[in-house]
Amino acid sequence: MANPRGTDGSLLVSLPWTLAALALAIAPHLQFLPLWISAAFIACAAWRFVIEKRRGALPPTWFRAGLALIAFLGVLATYSSVSGVGPGSALLTVMAAVKLLETRKRRDQFVLLFISIFLVMSALLREQYVWSLPYLLVSLLLIMTAWLRMSAVRQETTAQSVRTSGRLILYSLPMALAMWVFFPRIATPFWQVPIDTSAGTSGLSDTMSPGDISSLSLSNELAFRVSFADEVPAPQNLYWRGLVLHRFNGRTWSGNGPMPSNNILERSKIAVRGDPVTYTITLEPTRQQWVFALDIPYAWDLARTAMGRQQQLTREFPIDQRISYEVTSYLDYRADANMAEAFRYWYLDLPDNSNPETAELAREMYAEAGSPAAYIDAVLRKFHEEQYFYTLEPPPLGKDPVDSFLFETRQGFCEHYASAFAVMMRAANIPARVVLGYQGGELNPQAEHLIVRQSDAHAWTEVWLPESGWRRVDPTAAVAPERIDSGMSGSRLNGAAAAWGLTTPSAFLHNLGLSWDAINAKWNDFVLGYGPENQNRFMQWLGMEQPDWRKMMLTLLGIVFGLILLLSVVLTLRYRAPRPDKALRLYQTFVNKTRLPLAIGETPAAFARRARETTGMDPATIEDVTAAYLAARYGVPDTAAMARLKQGVRQLS
Amino acid sequence: MSSIQWPSLRAPRLRIFSEFSAALNQRIQRWARNRQGADPATTVLTPGRVYILPTGVGMIYGMMAFAMLLGSMNYNNNLSFVLTFLLAGLGFVAMHQCQRNLVGLEISFAGVESVHAGQSAKFRIAVSNHSKNTRHGIMLYLDDNDSEVQDLGAGESKVFTLVVPTEHRGWVTLDRFGIRTLFPFELFRSWAWLHMDLRGLVYPQAANSAPPPPPTISAHGHRQHDARGEEDFAGLRRFHDGDSPRNVAWKAFARSGQLLSKQFSGADTSSQWFDFSAVPAQETELKLSILTRWIIDTDQSRADYGLRMPGQEFAPAHGDAHKQQCLEALALFAPDDASG
Repeated sequence: MANPRGTDGSLLVSLPWTLAALALAIAPHLQFLPLWISAAFIACAAWRFVIEKRRGALPPTWFRAGLALIAFLGVLATYSSVSGVGPGSALLTVMAAVKLLETRKRRDQFVLLFISIFLVMSALLREQYVWSLPYLLVSLLLIMTAWLRMSAVRQETTAQSVRTSGRLILYSLPMALAMWVFFPRIATPFWQVPIDTSAGTSGLSDTMSPGDISSLSLSNELAFRVSFADEVPAPQNLYWRGLVLHRFNGRTWSGNGPMPSNNILERSKIAVRGDPVTYTITLEPTRQQWVFALDIPYAWDLARTAMGRQQQLTREFPIDQRISYEVTSYLDYRADANMAEAFRYWYLDLPDNSNPETAELAREMYAEAGSPAAYIDAVLRKFHEEQYFYTLEPPPLGKDPVDSFLFETRQGFCEHYASAFAVMMRAANIPARVVLGYQGGELNPQAEHLIVRQSDAHAWTEVWLPESGWRRVDPTAAVAPERIDSGMSGSRLNGAAAAWGLTTPSAFLHNLGLSWDAINAKWNDFVLGYGPENQNRFMQWLGMEQPDWRKMMLTLLGIVFGLILLLSVVLTLRYRAPRPDKALRLYQTFVNKTRLPLAIGETPAAFARRARETTGMDPATIEDVTAAYLAARYGVPDTAAMARLKQGVRQLS
Repeated sequence: MSSIQWPSLRAPRLRIFSEFSAALNQRIQRWARNRQGADPATTVLTPGRVYILPTGVGMIYGMMAFAMLLGSMNYNNNLSFVLTFLLAGLGFVAMHQCQRNLVGLEISFAGVESVHAGQSAKFRIAVSNHSKNTRHGIMLYLDDNDSEVQDLGAGESKVFTLVVPTEHRGWVTLDRFGIRTLFPFELFRSWAWLHMDLRGLVYPQAANSAPPPPPTISAHGHRQHDARGEEDFAGLRRFHDGDSPRNVAWKAFARSGQLLSKQFSGADTSSQWFDFSAVPAQETELKLSILTRWIIDTDQSRADYGLRMPGQEFAPAHGDAHKQQCLEALALFAPDDASG
């Protein structure tokens, strides 16, 4: 009696391959998946394999339906959503697990292989490392091999299946490459889906509250890479401008956030001097809208990016993908020299009754200095000459944080000094604001680019003086000048080695780290960063004038069509019948000339007799040709016989 | 314990739809036949006659690739573009591989054995792969009737069998069959139609219960009492109505419960004549059936027999060739000839 849920071991040919393909597709998701989902998949896969091996029966329908329902609710409970890459891949994994338990027929495996492909795709959406490309190729090879074995008639050897699917993938590589290069890239997404909500933002925060966090983590994570067209500016000029904070409530600094603005108007407020610096930044995804550039950016090629009223660059939507853009900056500039009175008020506002001691000190010092410039120098001198310390682990601050920092703890990092300095300025009626960004960076000599890490995050201040406009003042430099100057000397904690999990850096590991960084940078530039801008540039380099999507699509279609023709030729050669023997071909010509059909099984001698009797051909030549053919085809290799055959056939008309 | 036979859960197809698809099918077949003409008994598949269409799985695959393209564009993710384009490229490759898997195959008729009406004729068709590479997953088919699926190695020839049911005596024809493959990924089905006009002979059905054959006429011209000579014991055969009880192997019956008749052969040169006009039946087909039964039985006993048909006569003889000749005459017998 046939059990409708019974198995007969016929899937053993392909099931291990399908399971392997699924496992490889799930592997990159493991670190993100809740443990119960991974465990459920492994359990179902093992169970299914044992069923097939023992030719047992699959679990009943009510069990599978119940399992599917529980798994779906579980995913919903874990993620509270089923859209996005994280919940999507979790759902695909449990679907694969449940589907495995109802895979009885050969064709059920199609569904599993389709799921595998989607899982590989979502793994690529999550992370794009250098090794993601080989991972993709190996996964595809495994999936296609399983696919081949699923539809194979008789049991092929493993090597044969792998060779066949490898050959087919190899054939498709040129087409895939052409499509990849020429398929027009678009700048804006169709719809916004969070890439992964579980991963937090790793960039700068939008506000600054010195005194709340008592320690700053020194993350060696990459923020961005910069390659300069010409020389790298001096370390003390490497201020990577991010966002501007101008609102202070006595404790926390905050800004306006991204606001719509007019590029032309904002740029007209900047007067520049000296030589421009041109460079390309490859920014890691920040999930924020800030676009970093060297102080002060003047031109940039990033679409949907504008300069705000406070000379900061913002994009219209959060940066979810690694982006690459070229910027031209001027190190010497004068910004917003004619700022309107109404805006000046923004930068002078201090809450009443907060930090009273600081306000008092500011009034005293300003009276003593006499002019704004002298006052700024006096405050910086105070930080430099008195007992103020730079530390990454300062003690927490009290109710009036600036007061307790300036008069009690006297320890802090950039945020503390920037905040205290700005408050001192405002208290003396000098417009001031805080700028968040990065400072410095490590030069990778092997790739000739600058590596800017999260540990390079920095806060500094800008003060506004009539006539000269906004001027950058970095109070941290007064306290810890080495923090600013040593940017590229490598004296601070060795980032590359630390990234390898080592606390004591060695030169060898440092170089290895820098090499890996160089490879990653190239990978980012050429593979991941191949967006609308790079594609446009590449098309122009190829000689396409004014590239647009129509031209690219036409080129794409042309190349793919050509490659298909080539493929057709390759396959024709592969399956062509071997050319017949030369002697046989000549003899065939002779037979054709006689206009007599060669009967099945007729010997050349018998045919010659027939030809002599029924055609008016020269009997001697017929004899000659037949003898020469027999000698050339069946005798020892004989060039003379072949020549005679050729001549004889030519003689006959 | 017996399994319960559940009624088929498949919804009955709409009649209008099945009629339409049958009509369409016929049209396509007529078109293909007109386009290609009749094929010789050995035919090499040229590219022009190998057709290809995506399968259901292929359609899903295409839709998946398109969805992945949209996803890649949305996320502007260059690696998922790589995966998408590789899958798209694989689709093109699969299409060409699938078609090339058939092109160049040599198909030749390898014979069909004659059967009796009601039995299935097995047409044997040889497929040869002259190339240096394997052709995978080749299958012959006729309407809904598929042959086994086989791989053809380099230079290999294999015989496929197409089973055609028969109802009537005469010729069973196979004027059209197809060869197809789904290799490599079942994304595409490529096929070719062949019109070789093959035919096989269908003998009349042997009557289950036939009257005893006419008595043997000895060489001397007088009738013997029994139809079969009784000189030398030659073996046993199943009992038929009309066998003499004297020849029943009663001992064997006691042992096995099966009625068997002893067979004798010998110096008796007597022979039987089976005369169409003398068969005790009215209908032509029934007469032919009875004659077929007599021929088969007599052939088994290796006695000589002759067949006399209207306008045709086969002198008494025995052996396969003689039997085939006689059965062929019965198979192709046209009643109109008899009257004329």
